[in-house]
Amino acid sequence: MRWHKRLLAAGAVAAVTVTAAACSGGQVRGAADSGPQPGSSAGSAGGTADNTFVYVPNLDVVTDWDPASSYSNENIAMENIYESLTRYNPQAKKAEPRLAASWTSSSDGKQWTFKLREGAKFHTGKPVDAAAAKAAIERTMKEGQGAAYIWGAVKKIEAKDATTLEFTLKYPAPLDLIASAGYASYVYDTTAASGDLKKWFGEGHDAGSGPYTIDSWQKGKETELTLKAFDGYWGGWDGQHYKKIAYRVTPELTTAWQLLQRGEVSFVQRLNAQLFAQAGSTDTVQTSQTPSFQNLLVLFNTAAGPLEDVKLRQALQKAIDYDGLVAAMKGAGVAASGLVPEGLLGNIPGSTPKQDLAGAEALLKEAGYGPGGKQLDLTLTYAQGDADQELLVTLLSSALDKLNVKLSAKPLQWTTQWDQGKAKDPSKRQDIFVMYWFPDYADAYSWFINVFHGEKDVQFNLSYLKDAAIDKEIDELPALTATDKAAAEKAYADLQNTIINEQAAVAVPYVQNYQRAYAKSIQGYVDNPAYPNVVFVYDLKPGA
Amino acid sequence: MPRYLIRRLGQAVLVVAGVIVLTFAIMRLVPGDPAVAYAGPKATAAELAQARQRFGLDDPLPVQLWNYVRDLLGGDWGTSLHTRQPVRDDLLQAFPASLELVGAALIIALVVGIPLGIAAARYKGRLPDLSVRLSSMLAVSVPVFWLALALQTVFASGLGWLPVAGEYDASLDRTSPLHLFTNITAVDALITGNWPILTSTLAHLVLPALVIAAYPAGVVAQMTRAALIDESARDHARLERALGFGETAVLTRFALRPALNPVLSLIALVFAYSIVNGFLVEAVFNWPGLGRYAADSIRSLDTPAIAGVTLLVAVLYVVANLAVDLLQGVVDPRVRAR
Repeated sequence: MRWHKRLLAAGAVAAVTVTAAACSGGQVRGAADSGPQPGSSAGSAGGTADNTFVYVPNLDVVTDWDPASSYSNENIAMENIYESLTRYNPQAKKAEPRLAASWTSSSDGKQWTFKLREGAKFHTGKPVDAAAAKAAIERTMKEGQGAAYIWGAVKKIEAKDATTLEFTLKYPAPLDLIASAGYASYVYDTTAASGDLKKWFGEGHDAGSGPYTIDSWQKGKETELTLKAFDGYWGGWDGQHYKKIAYRVTPELTTAWQLLQRGEVSFVQRLNAQLFAQAGSTDTVQTSQTPSFQNLLVLFNTAAGPLEDVKLRQALQKAIDYDGLVAAMKGAGVAASGLVPEGLLGNIPGSTPKQDLAGAEALLKEAGYGPGGKQLDLTLTYAQGDADQELLVTLLSSALDKLNVKLSAKPLQWTTQWDQGKAKDPSKRQDIFVMYWFPDYADAYSWFINVFHGEKDVQFNLSYLKDAAIDKEIDELPALTATDKAAAEKAYADLQNTIINEQAAVAVPYVQNYQRAYAKSIQGYVDNPAYPNVVFVYDLKPGA
Repeated sequence: MPRYLIRRLGQAVLVVAGVIVLTFAIMRLVPGDPAVAYAGPKATAAELAQARQRFGLDDPLPVQLWNYVRDLLGGDWGTSLHTRQPVRDDLLQAFPASLELVGAALIIALVVGIPLGIAAARYKGRLPDLSVRLSSMLAVSVPVFWLALALQTVFASGLGWLPVAGEYDASLDRTSPLHLFTNITAVDALITGNWPILTSTLAHLVLPALVIAAYPAGVVAQMTRAALIDESARDHARLERALGFGETAVLTRFALRPALNPVLSLIALVFAYSIVNGFLVEAVFNWPGLGRYAADSIRSLDTPAIAGVTLLVAVLYVVANLAVDLLQGVVDPRVRAR
């Protein structure tokens, strides 16, 4: 075969490969056929010149479009498409009106009546009335996926009239907080699809009532999702608002920073410490830092092994270099004050722990360990690939080394770490379990009921704390939160004192800190830790 | 030839079968429960049981392997735990973008590498040769991740000559929607005459394609040089010189064709290598290809997706090897006789 013929053959192979890749003949990429749109561009000039807000997430945006089961990164878009009855305000530490204009509860916290705002419409054109809200919440409960468990207290929902929605609960619970959850709380039009609603959602449709509706969705593409203004939004479009939102997925932080620097995007979800510092000194960019509702828990095994001795657990609490850790994290974490992060009912200011090596040594000695005594061998598991946890382990190992404590730390994938923590045989469990915790709605109860309430089969109580008195106090929290906030605040403070100081079941080294960078021209941005990574774009004012 | 073809095809099938078994084993050996990865860290016991049943995780391993192979043969590559979509659909979505990037890189590698190899052979032992050898060694050894960041910082962010990231300007989706035939953006834009998207895609391709082209360009330059030097020392070259042809003519008119044989074979192998080598480059330049999909899958411990990418890349290697072997068999009958 001659030279040029061989080239031809190679060309033919290439053509076959290209043909094999062909999988979408006849499709059109783009949304030009979806009618006139507000704004014209999805990715230029900081998003301000053409009224498009360009958000840069690090991960794919949409995993599940169904508002009943959605429980992943798509919340950054869903919160702009869908609305719940209430929205949590971390400054006021309470829920505020959203689709519900007002609400009342019975003195026993078991009856809740929400008055819906008038004039709200779904993107499908149907009115948001009490019957529609009831149908949506009941469907979410029935689906029972994702965070649907938040409605667990609900016994009955009734639509008394077009704007009155009444909930009867099985037990007292703060339903205004539950209704503000970042997942599973959405009110949507359950009649939007003529056929299978879940399938219809999965095709990239929405049935929300929020300020924006889906414009285009291209799974796997860089600009994965664009939203456009919903003309019939109850809040109206008077004044300055962004008319479009584009989500431009950028896993590489350096690339995200360069896009922001060049004015091609409006908002970067996350940068590393070095880039964040650079952003702080860049004229065209502004930054914000807000403590999240996610804190790191160092859980000590209270049920088996050497840490059954409370003195040893207290010694370990004292050995942690809290200040050093926060300093080394360069802004990615802030000091914790108790178990409940700032912005939630139950947070106790002024309880930031400090390292006390002399105190730790004294406690170790009392227990027969420490320098000059027996060597204490401990095992610890933490999340593989988490640089901040790795830092904690390094600092703790080094501090414990001086106290004659040998720490054997294992970085593991979450599922492996969790499986080991849940092992039926207590001897196979670790002495120290490191993990993050965050609430699905803005209520400190999540930490107590999940992490410190006695369990028949271990799930998240990985300190294995089993104390009937503590359980009783935890069980009373929802009712107190629903009926008497001051009493709830005191109960939370007492419980934290018991769990952290007396039982020493946990140490809380830091609370994760959100570090955002965004275009200088954007006005009105407030980070709301109750909705991780969400930007409520309608509330922003595009600047010049 | 048919016997040779059957033998090579049989070997390829065996290798792919081995890869499938290995991929399955890795999926099951990786620590962690896929049901937890699918249902989420706060899933209830009932949700976990539902996920286990859905993925057949409670079946004995041989049954799971059989089901996996049967599904693969039926075109079902499993469901991604992260995207919740069929892995095959995800791969069909991501692969054309990688193909586009690596295709562009290989064109650059050939266009740059072959002339450099010729120049080096023509001026063997002199400054051009030294420069080509040095630069090709640098191109082969420089880490792609570093090169990607460096080019992006200088030419996109610093000088503003080229786009920072992306496949094309997303705003063109509205003004110039693209009709898809192959799912390869540049090819579809060319076929349909969509010049705005074509020019935007080409501009976005330059930097990532240059980075991926660095390695194959270096290898092609070195191999072309070596093959030309070898070829130009043969009897026919001496005859050509005796007939009065100049050194450049000897190299380009007579020695180049036979010298390109090994280079073309090499390109097929480098193609599969570049797909994987491009993963990091795709991450830096936000290229919506296999690299981003693989990175997301690894981050979320999405074992079916990881297995899908592994299998696809393995099949690419096998197919590329097979193509090279068959091509060489056509070119050189001695290969078939081995």
